[in-house]
Amino acid sequence: MRLALTFLRINVMNELQYRANFFLQVLESVVALATGLIVLSLIFAQTDALDGWTRPQLLAVLGVFTMVGGVIKFAIEPNMARIMSDIREGTFDYVLTKPVDSQLFVSVRQFRLWQLTDVIVGAAVVVWAVVTSDGSEQGSVTGGGVALGFFVSLFAGSLMIYCVWLILTTGAFWFVRMEMLEELFTGLYRAGQYPVGIYPGWLRAALTFLIPIGFAVTVPSEALTGRLTWSRLALAVGFVVLLMAVTRTVWSWGVRNYSGASA
Amino acid sequence: MTATTYESGARAFVRLYSALFRLAIIEQFQYRAANYFYMIGMVTEPIIYLVVWSTVAEARGGDVGGLTPGAFAAYYIVWTLVRNMNIVFTPFGWEQRIREGQLSGQLVRPLHPIHYDIGYFAGWKIVVIVLWIPLAIVLSLIFQPELDPTVIQAAAFFVAIWGAYLIRTLLLWMLGMVTFWTTRITAAFEVFFAAELLLSGRLVPMRLMPDWVQTVAGYLPFESTFGFPITALVGPVTNEELIRGLLTQALWIGIGVAGVSIMWRRAVRNYTAVSG
Amino acid sequence: MVITVEQLNKTFEVPERDPGLKAAFSSLFNRKTRSVEAVADVNFSVAKGEIVGFLGPNGAGKTTTLKMLSGLLHPTSGRVEVLGHVPNKREREYLSRMTLVMGNRNQLQWDLPALDSFELTRAIYRLQEGAFLEQRDELIELLDLADLVNKPVRQLSLGERMKAEIANSLLHRPAVLFLDEPTLGLDVTMQRRIRGFLADYNARHGASIMLTSHYMADIEALCHRVIVIHEGQLLFDGALSALSQRFAAQKTIVVTLAEPADLGAYGEVVDESPTTVTLRVSRDDTAAVTGRLLAEQPVSDLTVVDPPIDDVIESVFEAGA
Repeated sequence: MRLALTFLRINVMNELQYRANFFLQVLESVVALATGLIVLSLIFAQTDALDGWTRPQLLAVLGVFTMVGGVIKFAIEPNMARIMSDIREGTFDYVLTKPVDSQLFVSVRQFRLWQLTDVIVGAAVVVWAVVTSDGSEQGSVTGGGVALGFFVSLFAGSLMIYCVWLILTTGAFWFVRMEMLEELFTGLYRAGQYPVGIYPGWLRAALTFLIPIGFAVTVPSEALTGRLTWSRLALAVGFVVLLMAVTRTVWSWGVRNYSGASA
Repeated sequence: MTATTYESGARAFVRLYSALFRLAIIEQFQYRAANYFYMIGMVTEPIIYLVVWSTVAEARGGDVGGLTPGAFAAYYIVWTLVRNMNIVFTPFGWEQRIREGQLSGQLVRPLHPIHYDIGYFAGWKIVVIVLWIPLAIVLSLIFQPELDPTVIQAAAFFVAIWGAYLIRTLLLWMLGMVTFWTTRITAAFEVFFAAELLLSGRLVPMRLMPDWVQTVAGYLPFESTFGFPITALVGPVTNEELIRGLLTQALWIGIGVAGVSIMWRRAVRNYTAVSG
Repeated sequence: MVITVEQLNKTFEVPERDPGLKAAFSSLFNRKTRSVEAVADVNFSVAKGEIVGFLGPNGAGKTTTLKMLSGLLHPTSGRVEVLGHVPNKREREYLSRMTLVMGNRNQLQWDLPALDSFELTRAIYRLQEGAFLEQRDELIELLDLADLVNKPVRQLSLGERMKAEIANSLLHRPAVLFLDEPTLGLDVTMQRRIRGFLADYNARHGASIMLTSHYMADIEALCHRVIVIHEGQLLFDGALSALSQRFAAQKTIVVTLAEPADLGAYGEVVDESPTTVTLRVSRDDTAAVTGRLLAEQPVSDLTVVDPPIDDVIESVFEAGA
């Protein structure tokens, strides 16, 4: 934890030097949000509900999508990109010489401060959506549980994305050319802009368990819109614990393979 | 050297383009795996649009503005090919090109550098189309498009995708050349791409847009690079509309060529005045 | 004359601003600039078939001058003419007859064999098949590239890549070559190879060559004539041998003695073994000191040498004109 905070401080100080990037990022967030809102208005010009989701509810999904996207770009993607470039350029050796847990170390090295604007913009949209919300659905998580369910599932979902991305990145220990992974992931993440329920069954399953966008975006949105059930929340928490264990195994396996190969 | 050692312009031109095609095809075929991953990442975008609009169509009892799920499927599957035709040299690349001296290297050779980009990316497209075919088949099996073009439509489509490619190359060249005067234009690029997304037919078929948006789009080049080629193949479209669309493309190519040559001349003058 | 340069000037306007956001903001509207004279009143000319070394420390204006000669920069004032053309007009006829090679720049396609890039170059310069093949095969032979041109460029070593790069730059058989640090970063053997090739190429085709290099060995081996430029100004233009005469303030005298003696009175003793003494004396005194040594000491052998060219150049730049 101390390590993460130190790295965070270094990165913040670095980025504060580049104020132009901040304005650029604000613009980017605003443009992305505007595009999302335009799409919503196009959809709701034609219909009242998309697969049972009303306009304010889809707005909540858009907000959560933007928030989680911000978290990914703030903390997950920069670290994963760094791991891959380290492996490609042979500087990964330095990581292994540090007297700290290597998985922890590689996961907290890089942060892109300005991407937090997405988190803030997303949060604002979420608040807006909740305020304008029109009545609730029939979930079992209600009252104070809504906030709890929202934050727990948001945290669990982000962790899942981290796990899956790290597992895929570990592939770079075997196949050095993995740059397109980032493209692939960013492309797939777009699917989270809508509740996974609208996708055909096979795609829904993939988006829930293979690339856990369903958990990361849809479940917190369900909490906000009163659709969440306690059993679904428990499933999310159980799945993230399992995924963490798998990630741990795959990572140490990859590191062993790396040190074996480069000896 | 004597004059007879040089080839005539036309023959040299053909040779130049075939050399660039060859380079691009060999080189990009080496990266077929990376190209494929890139395409798969890209394909999620139209699938999302397709699923959303199919859902809307079903909620309305079968169609949106006359488009059924099958029509949307056709639109967004053809979309994937047109999107690939739209990939050209990025305006973000100019800064690097100037900084790393590739531009100087090109300037001392007797050839307008746009030929490298047009030729190379066109060759790359050939690889992309070959890789795209299986992807299109899989998508068609899943989403069941309603596609029944006439021969004329198919021919117009074939011409239109290359027209789209040329227009977008010229447009982004002009945009990228702004780098010669200022490097702080990333923000302008962002706004340009957002406008393009909304006004080209990439996000939704243009006829789902409000009328006034369609009118605005009519005065801009974006639809020629995206919506028109798709509609040419998917329909519904009359022969007259096809001809009008192709002529519009020709007009934009003319404007693009003129714009690029004027800007290029000024850009080089600026570059040779100040580059260190 | 192949190259004529008269009263050439190049002044850059360099933006200047204070650090901080406020300054950055105000500079958007009110730009402060400062003029830097990169090249000032330079005159020289180069004849057909000449190889001229272009010397000067970093930032002296060498690359700026080469860029003006190759049409990448236009002069602030003055006249440049190469092969009867004004370079910055960048006419096809001119670009087809010159080449610019920069040691750290890459024109070859990274992932493909050099032969494929050669084909592209042929198309760009519109070369007829016969002329192209003749020149290509000659270059492959002279540069010893036969085994390398079929491998992807990324697999070549730095030196091998540079050789392929040079071949690619000469396929159109240019009459004028501008070479900016062509041997930068290469090992000694490869430097020697490239040097030998350039001498060969020059002899065969009578091409004029202007060359900058950090390695004096390149200059000594290739250039009878050197042009020295410092802070934009031309300091010297003449034979390499005349450079030391003009600028070396001192000479070195190596004396072998029949029996040991103290020669401290004759000049500065640089090195001393019992019977061999190396003295450094000022250029003007050389003759007198030599005479006295021969007359007064048991000299069995005596040689007078110019200091190494590197040292001469260094002293030129230290003196600063």
